[in-house]
Parts: sequence; structure tokens; C-alpha cells
Amino acid sequence: MAVAEPQQAILSALRKEVQGDTISLAVAQGIANQLNCSLRSVETMALELGFTPQRHIRNGLSCNEQLSLMESTVAIIGCGGLGGRCAELLARLGVGHLIITDPDSFSESNLNRQIFCSTQNLQCNKVDVLARELPLIHPALQISPHCKCFDKNSVENSAVVVDALDSGEARKRLSTLCSSKAIPLVHAAVNSWYGKVGIDKQRTGPLIEDHYSQNKELKKAPTVLPMTVALVAALQVAEVCKLILNCGSSLDQGWLQTDLLDNEYIPIHLKD
Amino acid sequence: MQVQVKLFAFFREGRFIKEDRELPEGTTAGTIVDELGIDREEVGVLMINSRHCKFETVLQEGDIYAIFPVIGGG
Repeated sequence: MAVAEPQQAILSALRKEVQGDTISLAVAQGIANQLNCSLRSVETMALELGFTPQRHIRNGLSCNEQLSLMESTVAIIGCGGLGGRCAELLARLGVGHLIITDPDSFSESNLNRQIFCSTQNLQCNKVDVLARELPLIHPALQISPHCKCFDKNSVENSAVVVDALDSGEARKRLSTLCSSKAIPLVHAAVNSWYGKVGIDKQRTGPLIEDHYSQNKELKKAPTVLPMTVALVAALQVAEVCKLILNCGSSLDQGWLQTDLLDNEYIPIHLKD
Repeated sequence: MQVQVKLFAFFREGRFIKEDRELPEGTTAGTIVDELGIDREEVGVLMINSRHCKFETVLQEGDIYAIFPVIGGG
């Protein structure tokens, strides 16, 4: 990226080369190459001028909404089943910066549900695989990979944090960290056919503290079906998107319990 | 007294989704968990009438009592 980005030159190039209200990746990349600036700068300015990158047009969001997503940082803590799916969906949605944190590498037992796990990348670090694959979906995406357990750097400057961990103790530590930095935390968890999604701090009380209060760790790794992971990650990303776009959420007083075996989608409303 | 017991997620397997139960006065939330053969270690959240409760909480006539397992996978 050039040290000083030629804002005026990008503006002129966009006005000259873009017709209609969308911009193709080829045109945006061409401008970036020509002006020696980042694709992200070109697409951000395009959105400011009312041109939507073509890969985002089917989102059906306004330029301002798409710009809000592009200018947002989302931290994903845990890049397994839920975290990998969330990363993929957030990249497709058009979030501009993802901080991804996970100390683990892919193993054979991940193949049933972790979207970026394949027989080609077993033993590879999860965050390295995501950092390689996600720009193929969203080339303007900035990725900050951390191949380690999360710490304060894993959530730095993020608008929203995604809890995709698999330990109650770690979830509680993440909740405390996000709370201290006043960053909203979208919690989700899965087991077999079942899942839940919620926003951690709400007016009815702390969600994660209530759900994992007994300091009990699971005796063995839970079984998780791939359909459950896909559904629950989608719900989790919907909540992230609504937080960024200030759409409000009905989950601010409880959580959503999902049950694919009984085909139930149950909002649990807590009373004050 | 009558209490409605609602189960969620894998606690339903081999049991029920919801059931009205006739219980003696003084029955606690934990007693129902034990009677259902649920390991207390597997319980995540207990709620009576949409408010959190504990194993020691005494149920009252007409209560709706919900038992959720720990769901922890990511």
C-alpha cells in the first residue's frame, strides 16, 4: 500500500471509469494497480460515492450500510466449526477487517463440520488457512491472524466480538475482557442437533456468566452435526450484522435456542 | 400442586418436551432434575417463569419450570 493514498486520484478514476451504480472487481483492482493503492481504499471510496462492489450487490444493502460493514472490525475468537463459518459469512457480507484467533490446527475429526477443513490442509494452522482462503471471497478484506489463545490484542478496536470458543471457562474470560472494553459479544454454542445464540451483556443480566456459572467443563468433546453449525453460525452472523448496522435485536433480553431435531427455533425471553 | 416442566435440547431425548406434573409442596428444582435422571453436572440453566433459579429453589403452584443443558461446543 502506498504511504499516502491518492484520494483525489482514486476519486477521479472512479468518476471516469465507473458507469451505473456498481463497480466490478476488475475495474476496482485496475484502479488500485494503476494508482498503487489498496483495493480496500478504492472500494471504500466507491461506496462513499454510491458505487457498490458487484460482489456485494445481492446483499441488497444500501451503500451506507455496506460502507459501515467495510469500515468495521469484527474479532472472531475460535476458528473451528462456528468461527470458520462466521468468518466465511462475514467475508461474504463485506466486513472490512477480521481479527481471527485460534491456537489449533485442523485435524481429521474437524472434517464433518469446519468449513475450511479439507483433506488437503490437515495439520495446518486454522488461522493460516482462513487467512489464505478468505481473501479469495472478499479481496478487500484485511485479516489479522493470531495463532494462539486469545488475549486483549485479539479484540482490539473491534466493533463486535464473536464467541466461537468451546470452553465455558474461556467464554467467561472473553466475556470479562469484552465487558471491560465495552465491546458487544455475540455468544453461540452447539451440541448435536442443538444450539443457542445470544448477546452477552443485556439488561436482564449477563448471559455467559449465567450459562456457564458452575465451572463445569465438558467431560469429552461434544458431538456436533454440520447442519447445526451452519444454522447457528448464520444466526450468530445475523446478530453481528444487526449490531453493526444498528438494526436492534430481539435477543437483547434472552437468547435463541435452536433444535433441528424437533424443528424448533425458540426465543427465550428473560424477565427483569 | 401442579407445575409444568419443560425440557430443552438433548434433555428431551427419551423423556418429553413438556409435561404437567403433580408435585408435593416443597419440591425443589433440583429434585425434579434428579427424578428425571438428569445429571446435575449436565444442567446449564434452570428457569422458573422466565427467571433464573437454583437447584434449591422451591417450586410453587402453577410454575413453569424450564431445564436447559450445558451447550458448549464451538
